[in-house]
Amino acid sequence: MKHLWLMAATIGLATVSAHAASSPVSSPVSSPWEQPAAALVDQVAAILGPGHVNLTVRNLSSIPADQVPLIRRLLVQDLKSHGLTAAGADSANSIRVTLSESATKRLWVAEMSEGNQTQVAMVDLGPIQAQHSAAAAGLTLLSQQLFVANQPVVAILEMPEGMMALEPEQIVLYSHMANGWQEQKRMNIAQQRQSARDPRGALLGHADGSNFDAWLPGVHCTGSLSPDPSSGGSNFDCRESDDPWAVTQLSPQLTAPADGASEMNGTAAPIRAFYNASRNYFTGVLAPNDGPGLPPFYSAALISRPAGSAALLLGGVDGKVQLVENGALKPVAGTRDWGSDFAALQSGCGPATQIIASGSGEAAIDSLRAYEMPALEAVSTSPPLAMDGTVTALSPAPDGKSVIAVVRNAVNEYEVDRVTALCN
Amino acid sequence: MLRHFAISSLIVGLALSVGARTRPHYGGSLRVEIEGDPWRSPDGIARRMVLDGLTALDAEGKVIPDLAADWQSDNNDHHWQFHLRPSVHFQDGSPLTSAAVVMSLNLSCTQNCPWTAVHAVDNSVVFVSDSPTPNLPALLAQDAFLIALTRTAEGQSPANLIGTGPFQFAAFNRDVLTLAANDSCWQGRPFLDQIVLIQNRSVRDQWLDLSVDRADVVEVPPQQIRQAQQQRLTVVVSPPVELLAIKASDSGTLANPMLRAAVAQAVDRGALFNVIFQKQGEITAGLLPQSLTGYAFLFSPDRDVNKANELRGGLAPAPLLLAADGDPTMQLVAQRIALNLHEAGFNVQLAKMRNSPRADLTLLKLPIVGSNAADALAILLRGAGENAPVTTQDPAALFRAEHDVLDLKTLIPLLDLPRAWAVGSRVRDLRLRADGTPDLAGVSLEGAQ
Repeated sequence: MKHLWLMAATIGLATVSAHAASSPVSSPVSSPWEQPAAALVDQVAAILGPGHVNLTVRNLSSIPADQVPLIRRLLVQDLKSHGLTAAGADSANSIRVTLSESATKRLWVAEMSEGNQTQVAMVDLGPIQAQHSAAAAGLTLLSQQLFVANQPVVAILEMPEGMMALEPEQIVLYSHMANGWQEQKRMNIAQQRQSARDPRGALLGHADGSNFDAWLPGVHCTGSLSPDPSSGGSNFDCRESDDPWAVTQLSPQLTAPADGASEMNGTAAPIRAFYNASRNYFTGVLAPNDGPGLPPFYSAALISRPAGSAALLLGGVDGKVQLVENGALKPVAGTRDWGSDFAALQSGCGPATQIIASGSGEAAIDSLRAYEMPALEAVSTSPPLAMDGTVTALSPAPDGKSVIAVVRNAVNEYEVDRVTALCN
Repeated sequence: MLRHFAISSLIVGLALSVGARTRPHYGGSLRVEIEGDPWRSPDGIARRMVLDGLTALDAEGKVIPDLAADWQSDNNDHHWQFHLRPSVHFQDGSPLTSAAVVMSLNLSCTQNCPWTAVHAVDNSVVFVSDSPTPNLPALLAQDAFLIALTRTAEGQSPANLIGTGPFQFAAFNRDVLTLAANDSCWQGRPFLDQIVLIQNRSVRDQWLDLSVDRADVVEVPPQQIRQAQQQRLTVVVSPPVELLAIKASDSGTLANPMLRAAVAQAVDRGALFNVIFQKQGEITAGLLPQSLTGYAFLFSPDRDVNKANELRGGLAPAPLLLAADGDPTMQLVAQRIALNLHEAGFNVQLAKMRNSPRADLTLLKLPIVGSNAADALAILLRGAGENAPVTTQDPAALFRAEHDVLDLKTLIPLLDLPRAWAVGSRVRDLRLRADGTPDLAGVSLEGAQ
């Protein structure tokens, strides 16, 4: 059978969300399929003209089966309005509508057979929206996407004036506008450095809310944010440096641990650690280094302990999670499923600090999960929250009520998400 | 049967990692075994480790900057300017310059190039063509246009392939190629210290080595994917990345288009799919897969011997020469097609491709790469020997373009095939490129020091 392609125009339509597509539609008026059905029938009618047609509809797409009768009804109605009456198989003309899709978008195709000739019309419905399942019961983690960057985001710092993103070659300022977080300014870090496959960095906000430190392998920057982004946004200076990085933020709620940190104006000074600039981990040497000998580690978080003291949680290069408490290094059980990144969260769901840890699963479908640590064993307190890719950085928000996650997705974009806990 | 991919399965298929328990560790030596030549173009596994292109395709097939930081086109896509990324060096320490890129491109493409002329202008490379080349950024991501150093600082031709990629040539001895990490790679040093590539190793021996931890990454031909899974190997399978097709000559015996149409009707794709390829891949009569276009189902893959006989019109054509390369599977496919054609009244002689430059029918594999259907079609047609710019992104117009090509019956699609690899337990973060080859620059080893 020969296919003709007369009048096979494509009409770009507004995206039909998966949520809407999967929801029961009580009335054709509110159906998301109304517009594409009308567009397809417009093309069909222009080719066939009035008459009787035999209409068949098949579904080769992810559209739920219970939507197909509705779509068929819409098509029949639209055909009727163009003088085409759906009739039996003995009609001279037949229309086969295929609800199809590629990996990324939906496509509806009408094949119109007239004698031994077939003509084709198509309607492009646009991208398929990923569908997210509802959260399970229990303490639930919620993720809210803040923005997406094309370059690796190695650290995030939330400040009163906005959000600062550290990239391997730039510091980027974001402001919260009516339509969400928007990039305001990019500032180059002049220092030349070697690129890294697993780029990392750190940001530290000062208690005054405007000054900050930024670390990249071999580089240390200091600067301040201006309250008015339009006036320049930020001033900073960078220099070559092997100085230790801050691995924890200022922690006003906690008393300082015995290991490595000191009191500073009523807040715990950040713990600093030396970073191996040619690799992707901290050497295990803290500054000042008056605690026990530590192994090389990827991540650290300051957590509150049941007795009211604070302790430093370390994610070792060897995959072991250990706690530095009262001058001793103690292994933590129940962390077999942890990845290399975690951050402390004061959700208020119970007295303890929650630890949000990345999963140890597949890179393409990483997850975050909340844990508490009443003793030396991590106990999960939430179901896993699936992320859109690999979690590459986690840091606590200044108020401790949420954590900021950086997620590298399948196409190497970096999504910055705020993760909060919902008490059930 | 139509198979469609959800986005999630596509992504998982592209990026499977094994036990990503921590951030990637640096160090270690990865052992990879293959049947063929690692330098073979277009898909030799070593080429992409040593060389970069001006552009690249990400895991989903989108064109992204590589050695070119950005580009622009003028004059209705007759003129393209690619600006080179600054501070990039070849593995011998010499800087990447626009002149070096032009020399490399002129050496790698001597005829049927997608450009008329290529020039170095300051730190950019300018392509000029007589006809529009809207797909040039995607074409430049192809293996044929990877950039290699052609002259050393001393003016000599390099003894080994030198590029800007994450690994550099270290040694070659008795089928063992050793690549070492490029510490100064512009994209960052790879996690592995070195890759040891064993070539000319049978699949059977590869799997044996994998089972006793003497290999980390080995090949799984499409027809053996099921067997590998039954043996509980960890198999990473790409989406369809190759189109198995017959190229029919439009001269000689098959100059008559009715005869070519008869050949197309006589081929039994179902038998190839079920028997030879063990139900791996997808039966197709379209050039691009359903997962890329959404309309591939419009091209019917059904066999119709009666129709084939009718199209032949009682003619008794001269014997057809069907060429396929020496790969045993391709020879099996050729035999099966010869049988199909015999049932439709054709006599067919089989020949190995390199001995049959004037074959009536040639069995070949064409690349299916890219997430953009227009670029993918242009790349596929170029693989079939045609420079055919595809300008439209409109599905109906793409269908029309594909339909026009297929209507000539000089290309007869058979199956869309994936690529697959089996990986050992200590391999982490193995991802496949858009062409189904493993991206070893991001791989690390569990427990590496």
